[in-house]
Amino acid sequence: MPMGHTATAEAGSEGLTVKEHRLDNGLRVVLSEDHLTPVAAVCLWYDVGSRHEVEGRTGLAHLFEHLMFQGSGQVQGNGHFELVQGAGGSLNGTTSWERTNYFETMPTHQLELALWLEADRMGSLLVALDQKNLDNQRDVVKNERRQRYDNVPYGTSFEKIFRLAYPEGHPYRHTPIGSMEDLEAASLEDAREFFRTYYAPNNAVLSVVGDIDPEQTLAWVEKYFGSIPAYDGKREPRDGGLPDVIGEQLREVVEENVPARALMAAYRLPEDGTRACDAADLALTILGGGESSRLYNRLVRRDRSAVTAGFGLLRLAGAPSMAWLDVKTSGDVEVPVIEAAVDEELARFAAEGPTAEEMERAQAQLEREWLDRLGTVSGRADELCRFAVLFGDPKLALTAVDRVLEVTADEVQEIAKARLRPDNRAVLVYEPVAGEEGADEEEEAAEATAAATEAAETTDENEESAK
Amino acid sequence: MTELATMDFHPQPQAGEARPWAFPAPERGTLDNGLTVLHCDRPGQQVVAVEVLLDAPLDAEPAGLDGVATIMTRAFSEGTDKHSAEEFAAELERCGATLDSHADHPGVRLSLEVPVSRLAKALGLLADALRAPAFADSEIERLVANRLDEIPHETASPGRRAAKELYKELFPATSRMSRPRQGTEETVASIDSAAVRAFYEKHVRPATATAVVVGDLTGVDLAALLGDTLGAWTGSPAKPRPVPSVSADDAGRVIIVDRPGAVQTQLLIGRVGADRHDRVWPAQVLGTYCLGGTLTSRLDRVLREEKGYTYGVRAFGQVLRAAPDGSGTAMLAISGSVDTPNTGPALDDLWTVLRTLAAGGLTDAERDVAVQNLVGVAPLKFETAAAVASTLADQVEQYLPDDYQSTLYRQLAATGTVEATAAAVSAFPVDRLVTVLVGDAAQIEEPVRALGIGEVTVVPAE
Repeated sequence: MPMGHTATAEAGSEGLTVKEHRLDNGLRVVLSEDHLTPVAAVCLWYDVGSRHEVEGRTGLAHLFEHLMFQGSGQVQGNGHFELVQGAGGSLNGTTSWERTNYFETMPTHQLELALWLEADRMGSLLVALDQKNLDNQRDVVKNERRQRYDNVPYGTSFEKIFRLAYPEGHPYRHTPIGSMEDLEAASLEDAREFFRTYYAPNNAVLSVVGDIDPEQTLAWVEKYFGSIPAYDGKREPRDGGLPDVIGEQLREVVEENVPARALMAAYRLPEDGTRACDAADLALTILGGGESSRLYNRLVRRDRSAVTAGFGLLRLAGAPSMAWLDVKTSGDVEVPVIEAAVDEELARFAAEGPTAEEMERAQAQLEREWLDRLGTVSGRADELCRFAVLFGDPKLALTAVDRVLEVTADEVQEIAKARLRPDNRAVLVYEPVAGEEGADEEEEAAEATAAATEAAETTDENEESAK
Repeated sequence: MTELATMDFHPQPQAGEARPWAFPAPERGTLDNGLTVLHCDRPGQQVVAVEVLLDAPLDAEPAGLDGVATIMTRAFSEGTDKHSAEEFAAELERCGATLDSHADHPGVRLSLEVPVSRLAKALGLLADALRAPAFADSEIERLVANRLDEIPHETASPGRRAAKELYKELFPATSRMSRPRQGTEETVASIDSAAVRAFYEKHVRPATATAVVVGDLTGVDLAALLGDTLGAWTGSPAKPRPVPSVSADDAGRVIIVDRPGAVQTQLLIGRVGADRHDRVWPAQVLGTYCLGGTLTSRLDRVLREEKGYTYGVRAFGQVLRAAPDGSGTAMLAISGSVDTPNTGPALDDLWTVLRTLAAGGLTDAERDVAVQNLVGVAPLKFETAAAVASTLADQVEQYLPDDYQSTLYRQLAATGTVEATAAAVSAFPVDRLVTVLVGDAAQIEEPVRALGIGEVTVVPAE
């Protein structure tokens, strides 16, 4: 069967190989074989996220992601869910600043169905999209927003910190969930226009990983996706570039009904895909990852001034990445006490750099995280798409861990010195108001609800937040 | 107005031939110290999962010391006879390992995950933790203080607050299950290192413990490795503890936990049922899935996909504690959040879904899709070592045979629509459900009273 024209390439790491291909309509295809388990993952990344949204229409990319599960040319209603689940598969979609992804993991013998379904909605979503679906999913998304942000203590902190850390007009300043007002304002024509502009084969990468026959898989991809026309009118997002450091300490105090004081802070970091970003990852792991980190040892173990203390890294490719510090205070401890200790630890780290043992620990932790991510076919499919969409080369996924292991202690110290400073952060302080706090007992394991979320097969949905 | 698509359409493809897959059968053995070991080789799974089960259930906690099992469990990773607390955490992370542990009604569970290249060292640390935990006064004090700090955060979480209320309502005050698993401010404050050590000495020993090891064990001499690590742990023999019987009051009623200003109401609607030894379990799994297992199940079809009241509502069955004779207890529940103004209408619809199910039953198509999903997803669900280890450990914890999961899949496939309907209807009878609503009482109380789903009581959140 004739198919496309781009030569295939191979790269290997830990026995994994990758084949790349491009259809005539521009759809990039990445295939990786692994026959250990009779399953195959299909992952489709569209190069569109909340950074492409315009003022007054925040949340549109994510709302649109929901609409992708409401039927298409040959698929009725909730058919995407019904057909995949009925085939013994699982599926979901997520939206972030930089991309929207859709994925199915199938028993091998049902792979073709997943490809057919993805092609159907890429080529014919608008046949099924109507006002009723839009109104319904708008309500669902508003309830998603309430459940995950508005009805949870500290739930809007992430949103607040982005608004603080990224300047007015910056494409990453609003989070993918969007605002209630903008969700309300989204029209059917907005959704249609969004689809026409961004949901084209030449704006997507499809990866298929697992127990597959690459030739057969490529033939199916060609059959189902090959006739979908390309579209060249995509609007590029506004430039996300910013100076290396913020240049001043930004600050907001939030008085809310929360159970304890909290200190959160965002530090501006290098873009994803750079060696400096990997160095920052190591620095944050040493300072605030896990229970042997410097901040945990200082605040939770020694000073006993905090209940939790840690750093997270949100990797972004089209704008500066963000380090996210999150400390919840213990008892009556005041925020300035915590802040002084954090500053002291960061300054000490910048001055002295990591010890050899700290480097070893952090690299071991990040290595395990990579093994976890690449240990499932769906994780691997997602990473291949990520590197293809954001950095132009899926094979980089297979060597990502090697790059983290190559970073030196000097580079870690250098990035800490340059970026983890008070004049490069946005600080969010929570001060509880009203109601006497902590007057009652609790229930541990709300496993009732946790299990409900886990055991439930996927609910299509959701935006991605910092790890 | 619709827009014609310009692509070529093809008919929906048919499935190919399914490739065989079976839930992995573990090998079982016993170390000289009496420790039961299950292991299972999963080629390609470079991150090995180790689960350890200890026969130290919550009902073994002394009166007034609820939470001592939790503090002990946390203290396992806070220093040994070889390492201080900080050193122990550092050594574990140096292996690239994670060690999670928690104390629950059936016992204490420790879960280690580590790249196979560093398995030996991590197993050594795990063995040290079990064999010779330091339980230093200062570390226990810190864990107690930290636990006390966590409590207000849990009270503020709608899901956790709902669960606390439901357990309190369902079970008699004398039952350990009625009380928070990790203790209350009063009981936790009474815990000290002597209490932790006493609990450890009384209930933790290899003879009543089980370890499950799963992952790519190619080239690993597991017997030697275990002998040098967990094999060095010693302790007196003991019989397994008997499982106390538990009663529950599921008379239909509503408890509103008042959170003024809440924009959503957290629902948790539950009662208790039998454990997995009961013959009804497979049919109940199937029926519960059809009711509320996924976005296309009956509840979400109405509450989410038609009405938009929620991001998702789920029905589930979860074993709280099994007994060898099948007299154990499971929680059967429906859970989710709905927006405040639609709380009354959402509950009304939810009850209508239950009544419709009881009146008309499930369809064969619903049953078929559910079986295909529940059985078909097995190879996906058990791709990682951690998933396999966790299920094997659940089986041991629930006194089930090692081939239980495979048997369950066969039973699910053989369960008919009528049985699944009967099981779902008797699992969720409309007049025997305790409804907990965490939300703004001023706005939801009247509409909920008007539904007539049971007597309504309002309690403060704190």
